[in-house]
Amino acid sequence: MKGKGSGAMFLAWNEIKNNRLRFTLVIGVLMLISYLVFFLSGLANGLEQLNREAVDKWEADGVILTEESDLRLQQSILSTDDFDGAGVDEYTELSQLSAIASNGDKKVNVYIFAVEPDSFMMPNVTEGDNFAGRGEVIADDTLKEDGFKIGDELSLSSTDETLEIVGFTDKARFNAAPVLFTDAETLETLHSRKMTEADEDVVNAFIIRTDNLDDVEAAEALQVVDTETFIENLPGYTEQNLTLTLMIYFLFIISAVVLAIFLYVLTIQKISIFGVMKAQGISSRYLAGSVVAQTFLLSLAGVMIGFVLAVITGLFLPAAVPVAFNYLEMLVYGTVLIVVSIIGAFISVQTIVRIDPLKAIGG
Amino acid sequence: MAILELKKVQKTFGSGKTKVEAMKETDFKAGKGELIAVIGPSGSGKSTFLTIAGGLQTPTNGEVVINGTALSDIKEKKRAKLRLKEVGFVLQASNLVPYLNVAQQMHVLDKVKKGNMGREEAEALYQSLGIEHLLYNFPKDLSGGEKQRVAIAKALYTNPSIILADEPTASLDSDRAFEVMGILKEMTKEKQTATIVVTHDTRLINDCDKVYKITDGKMELHEIMRRTT
Ligand SMILES: Nc1ncnc2c1ncn2[C@@H]1O[C@H](COP(=O)(O)OP(=O)(O)OP(=O)(O)O)[C@@H](O)[C@H]1O
Ligand SMILES: [Mg+2]
Repeated sequence: MKGKGSGAMFLAWNEIKNNRLRFTLVIGVLMLISYLVFFLSGLANGLEQLNREAVDKWEADGVILTEESDLRLQQSILSTDDFDGAGVDEYTELSQLSAIASNGDKKVNVYIFAVEPDSFMMPNVTEGDNFAGRGEVIADDTLKEDGFKIGDELSLSSTDETLEIVGFTDKARFNAAPVLFTDAETLETLHSRKMTEADEDVVNAFIIRTDNLDDVEAAEALQVVDTETFIENLPGYTEQNLTLTLMIYFLFIISAVVLAIFLYVLTIQKISIFGVMKAQGISSRYLAGSVVAQTFLLSLAGVMIGFVLAVITGLFLPAAVPVAFNYLEMLVYGTVLIVVSIIGAFISVQTIVRIDPLKAIGG
Repeated sequence: MAILELKKVQKTFGSGKTKVEAMKETDFKAGKGELIAVIGPSGSGKSTFLTIAGGLQTPTNGEVVINGTALSDIKEKKRAKLRLKEVGFVLQASNLVPYLNVAQQMHVLDKVKKGNMGREEAEALYQSLGIEHLLYNFPKDLSGGEKQRVAIAKALYTNPSIILADEPTASLDSDRAFEVMGILKEMTKEKQTATIVVTHDTRLINDCDKVYKITDGKMELHEIMRRTT
């Protein structure tokens, strides 16, 4: 950072250079705040993915569920006859079951999704084979971190039936639990109680791809929602997001206030210096500009260090902490932090404008 | 030609019982190359006079004209500009920015104003003030006299037509005080500035072209000194 060239930077930079301890402290505080902001944003992002990555992978535009289901998959029970694909480009059926699966060593909460083998919901196999016979599943690859492997026999909490992992797929977590993909027949055998009395095929939802959700014609008592709405209604999803987002917003305010206080105190200490400069004829605008320039330098430094620290911390965190950085979002948050810091500096700008040079030079 | 003129200037502070007439109606002129001393006891109104002359406060009545511009005709923003261009202040207390070294004290003025001294001219100024070896010192590493000389350099650096010095020698021992006065005189003649020095040290006024005395806000020509050539 040279800062020699531009006008306002000259004072700003020289003051920083000659009061290192003071400004290191300011940068330190900003660094901690931005570190926290970045970390929370990573956490929010990670938790989001934990909930929705399986759904995102479908690249579907909407979901059809029953009216009564309150948009909860397991509460929605509908017949395959209820929808014939009227008004959509593509659709597929989804049946699901949540269960505790164990390979003998470890127990995990999982979702078992029955998907149609030729549909767009069919996961890509990243390791091993596709499910083919009864009882075979493809599992989300985060299960590998829990010690699950291809060939593992899984016993389930709700039934005597067992499943076998024949392959893995990536990015397949739904509502904070890994997904096991299988076919409809296998899922059928797992249901402890029959869902319907007739021979009717029963599913939980239709997943659809279409350009216009309004054109979709589904039976009465069904509702068509867009994918985003469906995700937002996943248990805990919105609450979690809102909490973290609120914390981040509070941190923005806190950083503005903290910096405003810091700069105000520094400005108060410099009143006589500023006053003398004003007496000489140096404009308030120039002096205020130097404070704003200084704030920019300090917040930029704080935010950048906070960013680097957050990313480094992310590398060393255990996999159980769901931190996933979204660099674009971090760029936005970093910019916001710098902007609110500069807003905080405006209290000092007012003080500078009001300094009476006469008082400063005192007769 | 008068570069600084005060016409019927009067200043009153407060009102009613607390009313203080710090400056009684005064006419005053200062021309190019003139070194003028203003003496008077504490509280007599010397600083009031100087700050009004420099446009740092407005008189209650009357008019201040700097280089042809009447201060009451312009806004504070313009007045600040005029100060920057025409007036150099040398203050009693050090008016140096603590986090800038001597060279940077001048450099900051280049950031806000054009037409300051060029490199060679500035170096000659530092030489004559004896501060050329102190350019990279910060104010805390300067003696009182050195600070005062830097302050003078700063006041002159912008090529002002008026120099206003409020007790520039107050923090100095008498040898240094004489030295600083000598420098001010030299600069006044060399740069053809109108220089007004407020002091209560009557020993320092011998070299001045004019001496005014203020008593209770009343300003009078004290004694016209013999012009030194
Ligand atoms: N802002 C003000 N409000 C009220 N009274 C003031 C103000 N400034 C100065 N005075 C009064 O005006 C008078 C002249 O003050 P001034 O500062 O000009 O004196 P001075 O000659 O510079 O004194 P000194 O030698 O002690 O610096 C004093 O009686 C002072 O109390
Ligand atoms: Mg005074």
